[in-house]
Amino acid sequence: MNSSAQTGRGLAWALVGPTLALLVAFNIFPLVYNIVSSFTNAELIGGAWRSVGGANYARVFEDELFAGALRRTALFVVCAVSVELALGFVLALTLQRDFKGKQVVLTTLLIPMMLSPAVMGLYWNLVLNGNYGVVNQALSALGFDPPQWLTDRDYKFWSILLIDVWMWTPFMMLIALAGLNSIPTSIYEAAQIDRASPWKVFTRITLPMCAPVLGLAVLFRATDALKQFDLVMAVTGPNDAATQTLSTLLYQVVFRDGSVGLGAAFSCVILVLVIALATVFTRYIDRVQSKDVNA
Amino acid sequence: MKLVRWFVLLAYLALAAAPLAWMALSSLKRRDDTIAPHAKFLPASSAVDDSASPWFEATLAAYRDLGAVHAGAQESFLGHLGSSVVIGLLSTVASVALGTCCAYGFSRFRVPGAKDWLFFVLSTRFLPPLAVVVPVLIMYRALDLQGTHLGLIVLYTVFNLSLAVWLMKGFLDEIPRAFEEAALVDGYSRGQAFLRVVLPEARTGMAVTAVFCLISAWNEYGFAMTLNSSGAVTVPAYFAGLQGNIEGMPWPQIAAGALVFVAPITVFTVLVRKSLLRGMTFGTIKQ
Repeated sequence: MNSSAQTGRGLAWALVGPTLALLVAFNIFPLVYNIVSSFTNAELIGGAWRSVGGANYARVFEDELFAGALRRTALFVVCAVSVELALGFVLALTLQRDFKGKQVVLTTLLIPMMLSPAVMGLYWNLVLNGNYGVVNQALSALGFDPPQWLTDRDYKFWSILLIDVWMWTPFMMLIALAGLNSIPTSIYEAAQIDRASPWKVFTRITLPMCAPVLGLAVLFRATDALKQFDLVMAVTGPNDAATQTLSTLLYQVVFRDGSVGLGAAFSCVILVLVIALATVFTRYIDRVQSKDVNA
Repeated sequence: MKLVRWFVLLAYLALAAAPLAWMALSSLKRRDDTIAPHAKFLPASSAVDDSASPWFEATLAAYRDLGAVHAGAQESFLGHLGSSVVIGLLSTVASVALGTCCAYGFSRFRVPGAKDWLFFVLSTRFLPPLAVVVPVLIMYRALDLQGTHLGLIVLYTVFNLSLAVWLMKGFLDEIPRAFEEAALVDGYSRGQAFLRVVLPEARTGMAVTAVFCLISAWNEYGFAMTLNSSGAVTVPAYFAGLQGNIEGMPWPQIAAGALVFVAPITVFTVLVRKSLLRGMTFGTIKQ
């Protein structure tokens, strides 16, 4: 009995070991490397490292560049998540009832979220171009005076957000739809017997019962939007004051300026943020999953 | 109410599908027609003289040109597509194999600290690629993996493990333990029971997992453009690199290439449509 339990344990580690080892290696090494090099003047090409103490961190916390990227990323996350959630929820409501061809409509709606953001972002440059883009031609034909979506300082950021909304609203819709479908019809029937108004049904039954999965959706989108890189690179490049996010600023600092040490300090600050968010996230998943088991 | 419902749904569907439809039209144009100041949205079979006309002469030239090398690139679109296929497929096979074994271990055995390990696995997915890419780059320079297929295959395999483990754990948990126990009673070893009883039952789950791993490797850009800016350049990095090229953007070829590039993903999306939610949420929501 004892020996079989032991072979069981050996087998278990043999199964999970390789994967965990790879993940540890590819996450711990970069972490250690970043921490060490963040206190040096390391550069991308050659040169010996020299300790600079906390100078890199001082710059990260003092330079307006980093604070600006953080603010812009936060604004992007908040706007993207809330617009996509609202729009996705409305779409899910329109898809709640069965109709002929629902599967086709649903699958078509979902396609944008599966496509490559880098490739589609590049292509949107043609669609939104200020001079020959089809969007501006359509707006002019309707009598509007269309803006320069991709080059005007006041519009660039929102153009990127628009592309993100196009790509990711389907994701929110899909999750909201799952939430809506999980509400038992008996609850709606009970509400009907009680003559609850449609508004009351929506705010007292539909929304609260969807809330747990919508929370999950928000966390998934937020962690993803926080990494926003591909679309910004495709639309404005990494060094645009109006659109620079955390990831694109990191790219600029490390790969264009070659300042690995400064980039590492910045990475460490971002990692603290990401780890905090990941902790909230995993706790939440844990709670939602253990609720599922009880239900 | 019903009318509003249909209006909202159809309006969104039209707006969301329009960019893709425009892409299909652009791929049939000549370059001048893609950037014409009067939008050309009607394909014609013969030459059009009037520059203000919405008609344009449809041609397959852009598709024929996919083998051509553009200014600022080292290879044609087809060459980069080859790199994307090799890197995507091999990393997918590796992720699914490793992920299935690991998920089986977590599903059927008592691993000390299993919950913490599983959340560690999931949290690796939250890291922004740009925050870890420099150490990886240094490591790859030392190992001579920069710009190679193997380098990105290994990296995407690791990157997709969180997805593979979480998805496969969900699928394996759904297979009754009684199946294996019966096999063990029949004299199968643990390994035989896994290979002959569990794996055939997990086929659908593995296929779904493979599709999601493939899509995320196929679309990845951050690592691809920083680690493999030359050598084995994948399609997203290649397209991005065309920006600012001196001959102007080859829009028809970009549209044609992008369509060829997203076509398999669209087919896969349709194939796994029942599991999309599960795949996109790492199995945390099951349909």
